[in-house]
Amino acid sequence: MQRRSISDPLPRNLLIGPLVAALLALFAGAPPARALEAGGGTLLLRHAGDQPVEAPRLAADAAIAVSGPTARATITQAFRNTTADWVEGTYLFPLPEDAAVDSMKLVVGDRVIVADIRERRAAQRAYEAAKAEGKAAALTEQQRPNLFTNAVANIGPGETVLVQIAYQQTVRQSGDTYSLRLPTVAAPRYSPAPPAIQSAAEGPAAPDPVPDRRRIAAPVLDPARSAPVNPLTLSIDLKPGFAIGSVHSATHAIRVEAPSESERRIALRDGATAADRDFELTWTPAPGTRPAIGLFRERVAGAETVLAVVTPPSAAIAQAPMPRDVVFVIDNSGSMGGTSIRQARASLLVGLDRLRPGDRFNVIRFDDTMETVFPDLVAADEAHLAHAKRFVAGLEARGGTEMLAPLQAALRDGRPEETGRLRQVVFLTDGAIGNEAQIFAAIAAGRGRTRLFMVGIGSAPNGHLMRHAAELGRGSFTLIGSADQVADRMRELLLKLESPVVTDLSATFSEAAEATPAQMPDLYRGEPVTVAARMRAARGTLTLAGRIGGEPWRVVLRLDEAAEGTGIGKVWARAKIGDAETARLTGAMEPAAADAEILRLALDHGLTTRLTALVAVDATPRRPQGARLARTDLPLNLPAGWDFEAVFGRDGEAPQAPGLAPAPRERRAELIPARDASREVALPQTATDFEIRVLVGAILLGLGLLLQARRRRVAP
Amino acid sequence: MPGLPSRRSGRAGLAALPALPALFLAAGGLVLLAQGAWIPAKAALAQALLERAFARTLAAGAPSRPWPWADTVPVARIAFPGLGESYVALAGSSGQALAFGPGHVEGTPEAGEPGTAVYAAHRDTQFRSLGRLAPGDSVEVRRRDGRTIRFRVTGRRIARWDASGLDADAPGRRLVLATCWPLDALAPGPDRLLVEAIAEDSRTAEP
Repeated sequence: MQRRSISDPLPRNLLIGPLVAALLALFAGAPPARALEAGGGTLLLRHAGDQPVEAPRLAADAAIAVSGPTARATITQAFRNTTADWVEGTYLFPLPEDAAVDSMKLVVGDRVIVADIRERRAAQRAYEAAKAEGKAAALTEQQRPNLFTNAVANIGPGETVLVQIAYQQTVRQSGDTYSLRLPTVAAPRYSPAPPAIQSAAEGPAAPDPVPDRRRIAAPVLDPARSAPVNPLTLSIDLKPGFAIGSVHSATHAIRVEAPSESERRIALRDGATAADRDFELTWTPAPGTRPAIGLFRERVAGAETVLAVVTPPSAAIAQAPMPRDVVFVIDNSGSMGGTSIRQARASLLVGLDRLRPGDRFNVIRFDDTMETVFPDLVAADEAHLAHAKRFVAGLEARGGTEMLAPLQAALRDGRPEETGRLRQVVFLTDGAIGNEAQIFAAIAAGRGRTRLFMVGIGSAPNGHLMRHAAELGRGSFTLIGSADQVADRMRELLLKLESPVVTDLSATFSEAAEATPAQMPDLYRGEPVTVAARMRAARGTLTLAGRIGGEPWRVVLRLDEAAEGTGIGKVWARAKIGDAETARLTGAMEPAAADAEILRLALDHGLTTRLTALVAVDATPRRPQGARLARTDLPLNLPAGWDFEAVFGRDGEAPQAPGLAPAPRERRAELIPARDASREVALPQTATDFEIRVLVGAILLGLGLLLQARRRRVAP
Repeated sequence: MPGLPSRRSGRAGLAALPALPALFLAAGGLVLLAQGAWIPAKAALAQALLERAFARTLAAGAPSRPWPWADTVPVARIAFPGLGESYVALAGSSGQALAFGPGHVEGTPEAGEPGTAVYAAHRDTQFRSLGRLAPGDSVEVRRRDGRTIRFRVTGRRIARWDASGLDADAPGRRLVLATCWPLDALAPGPDRLLVEAIAEDSRTAEP
């Protein structure tokens, strides 16, 4: 009994739990009193948490124009300095992952300053210099492909400045449904240390691990810590180039106007939305008017860019699914201890349960050793499954994490000639390793026809590893952060595993063309192939070929039939930059060569990337003069086309100058949060219970001895 | 149950009854005391092993495990020159790593790289000293590659573990040391003490 209580944590905690609770009740109140005198930061401590310095306030409006296959979004953010000092503000905001940010304007008082694209260090230097000279300046930088910061320097007391950025993106298509997503942010979390928000200044470009923010962003708000959630206004002009059937938003209540049968204007029904979840809009073509093929072109700077969006025939989907060969790999290293290993075991069992007769499988477990359950793939029959499940249920977390050998073992394909079967690897790990580059190289070298599916386990899985391993392994990934996500997330992933529609895709141009993506993915149910290419002129043909359920599939497009589209050049450049980033990561390109390529593309097309930034600097210094710019100056002098009324505060604090029309009330917003909460560093538990144990132990021992002593006295 | 038959026999039974509970209480108390004492002992012992592993790491230029079955490797030595203390930090901040030394929190850059490097340790072992760090104090981090980066403490604050306000990609070369707060509390709680520092060279290099 007692030996057990040492080795097994559960009974032990059950034993001392009530005692600890009782003791805590005794000591409650004491720690806070002691806390205040600890260390020299008393002043700060008293302020910490409950009295953050008030940050400049922000407001935002999004206007999106969808035309054909692309969308152009204009985001206007207003910065209001509510303090009595000159301030600089920086805020972080998310954008769609494929957003090509190409324009930024800064409006200060009656001046509009248009930003230039520059090499990032140069842009930072220009910004810092302007900041030091007391000039108004703004800097837009990419922190991640889907995460940007804006910094604005020298905002006067009580003043409002506007920053407007614009980006281009492609419309997503899945089956008959077209969709557009606008990420908004979760809770604002201002840093309590003054200055409220730090400038983006020094240091070379941070390495770019590109985690998939949207997936990590489980929208969990902590109401106790968040400021009131801020509304964001939004308007969409939808011209998809065909007659529209239905328009729908699964995330927000919307109001839809229909000026013509192929145009819609969409706004939020409530006028503004809390910026706490992504906005998503979906639309479908009117019955019978579905465009057969999406082929567009745009002429930019002496060359033409084409964009092809083709959905494979849906008739093929009805076929029986291909049999699968699945290798499950589970990490049972020490870092998976506790809940992680339980989630991993549960996820693996879900995976085993979805195997069908005719499938084959194997299971590998690893820590700093590895073990393969069956010598080779075995049929997914009852006996084998039962054996594997027993093995999985008995797994404990211990030891180091040697990921390379099991990965290579899983990728090793004993029967490359069996093209009628899907070969898949499902890899469950927290990815707590440091040799990612080695892993990526191994995947690129060994993937063959195998598809790699990553399952990130635990509260802080290595998202960088998951995303890129899956991308390189032409599979997909999911992150499981808690036990109740296991069933849903695994089902989602496994559905993908089970139903790839088109495999072995290739795209071939008859003329010389720079095409992207460099590596064609598998297509799942309803997904279209999207190919972009830049060529001297849109001539010749594009041949798409692949296999649908084992049968060859091929389609030939004549490029001279392409329709005119807008923004396609930028979309292509953004995709090429993404390809170069991936090549750099996997070692397919030398880092220096990849960077040079990215820089060239970014400067040619005016895009914000890891290496470039948009900077706008006002010509005249303004801070020393001290002459306050009246807030009411601002709306009067805005250039045409600026939707300024959308962005003023709603606390009634915008003073109405005589003769100034009140700002319309239906389109207004405040504050985009200053921080992206989902990317915040979560801190580990850093207290042990040894003091409690010692205390409780001493008390128990004392009681025992006391009892014994009394018994002695009574007994003789 | 074992005391049941003797209950009939008057005084002797009364005396026999409390014997078992007394024994259990005393034995349970001893076990808890031993467990409690083992935690700081383990942390101290591990630091000695980690020092050796870190010295091997620096000499060999490759990660070296402190003991053969460890799931983590030493990545840095954090020193508080003003207090005359130094601790070897481990990769990762799982409970397993933290039992032995400060952990380098996953997803944050190495100290001295652009961004915010975060190290966490138990308040009742290594990072109890955080309470004695004041703005202006220096913190030195010796990295695996042998470089030593000197940081200057800029401030301290309290935050919830899930609302740290820390951005691993924040501009500048920053260091944050984290531990549980309040330092003297007995039970684990949601608050963390954050000591924030900035690299000295980056501060002088940039305007």
